[in-house]
Amino acid sequence: MSDLTLGELDRDGALREAVEQVSGETRAAFLGKAVVGGAALLGALAAPAAGKAAAASDVAILNYALTLEYLQSAFYTETERLGAVGGELRRVPRQLGAVERAHVTALKDALGRAAVKRPAFNFRGVTEDNAKFLKTAVAFEDLGAAAYKAQAARIKSPALLAAAISIHSVEARHAAWMRFLAGVTPAAAAFDEGKPVSEVRAIVASTHFVVARPKRKSSKNPKYTG
Amino acid sequence: MPVVCSSTGAGHMTDELRLEALPPSDDDTRGSSRAEFVARAVVAGGTLAAGGALVAALPRLAASAPSPAQDQKILNFALQLEYLEAGFYAEAFAKRTLSAELLEYVSTVRHHERAHVAFIKGVLGRNASKEPEFDFGDATSDPNEFTAAAIALEETVIAAYNGQAANLTKGTLAKAATIVSVEARHAGWIRAIAGRDPAPDATDQPKTPGEVQAYINRTGFVRSR
Repeated sequence: MSDLTLGELDRDGALREAVEQVSGETRAAFLGKAVVGGAALLGALAAPAAGKAAAASDVAILNYALTLEYLQSAFYTETERLGAVGGELRRVPRQLGAVERAHVTALKDALGRAAVKRPAFNFRGVTEDNAKFLKTAVAFEDLGAAAYKAQAARIKSPALLAAAISIHSVEARHAAWMRFLAGVTPAAAAFDEGKPVSEVRAIVASTHFVVARPKRKSSKNPKYTG
Repeated sequence: MPVVCSSTGAGHMTDELRLEALPPSDDDTRGSSRAEFVARAVVAGGTLAAGGALVAALPRLAASAPSPAQDQKILNFALQLEYLEAGFYAEAFAKRTLSAELLEYVSTVRHHERAHVAFIKGVLGRNASKEPEFDFGDATSDPNEFTAAAIALEETVIAAYNGQAANLTKGTLAKAATIVSVEARHAGWIRAIAGRDPAPDATDQPKTPGEVQAYINRTGFVRSR
């Protein structure tokens, strides 16, 4: 088994192919434009600024997690609805969709009126093709685990930390499962490193899956400059 | 229905996460086979070396103020679990009676567990607890026993780390988080090999040190000294 990295996915994977199919863009143009659509939206997912009130930084982290969970749940839900992904992957969209939707519900409940709205997505064909679906699922689940991990030590509330860490390991289980199905090693290293917000944002932006900026639900949301 | 924690109040700035709406597990096989595994395990016999004392000194779940002294106790608890996993996979690798697919898992995972042991021992230095003696019986040679034991071990270790996350200082938590997701990958991997749902629940519920200790005792894998 060889390892599969997000970089490889980005270089020759389903994400770029799908985008080029839709937009006719070259890779260079694609990467150059990446900052426009997704990153602008993901500016809402700024890292919590040092010195802010505990609750505000935790709310920011929760909304960051919520946006990633929206992305994952929409991906699996659409795949299940379209019904084109099958074979040994048949169970995956339904099962992971249910779990990621549960994460969304939990985060929204926790945030109440401070929750960011669900963005609009365009998955550009990866929800209709086994190979593209699986590559994207590997990338999303590795990314989810890495994103939660990088925030764990920043969370101030012990109760919130306990909840987030209990989701974090489930994302890692999903990553291992998707990698197993993809024929790449489910556990590539003895230690899993986290990914900072900037890296996660860049990766999500590069997919062009996020096509609309969610409206703020509350004027009391913390302000971000990203 | 699993409940991780409850919010003490409503309001948009709440800093407590409610996870009361999560669906129950739809994996009916997990509970029963784990129960079978535990039931088959020898009840009498070993405990983790100095385990009782370690566990007694540990906070149950997220509750107490993190401190370097508390980190040390928690890391020694984690070290005992990593010794157990490392010993288990080392023996399975040495016996080489498992299927090719299981041995591929073993040959990768044993390195990870050894690295976790080395890392935690390095952090603890002179304060690191000693490795106990193990007796894994047929669990390192019989494919069915191995698979059941590996799943239960990995999931117990995930639950143990998750249960202590909020009790660690932030620096130690950041390190522990890089370990627990690897244990979760192992759990997902071995369950996939076994044809069981790799991630049956929306969250990995924490276990108290006492619950972890009780499970380890029931396996009989750790010999008394």
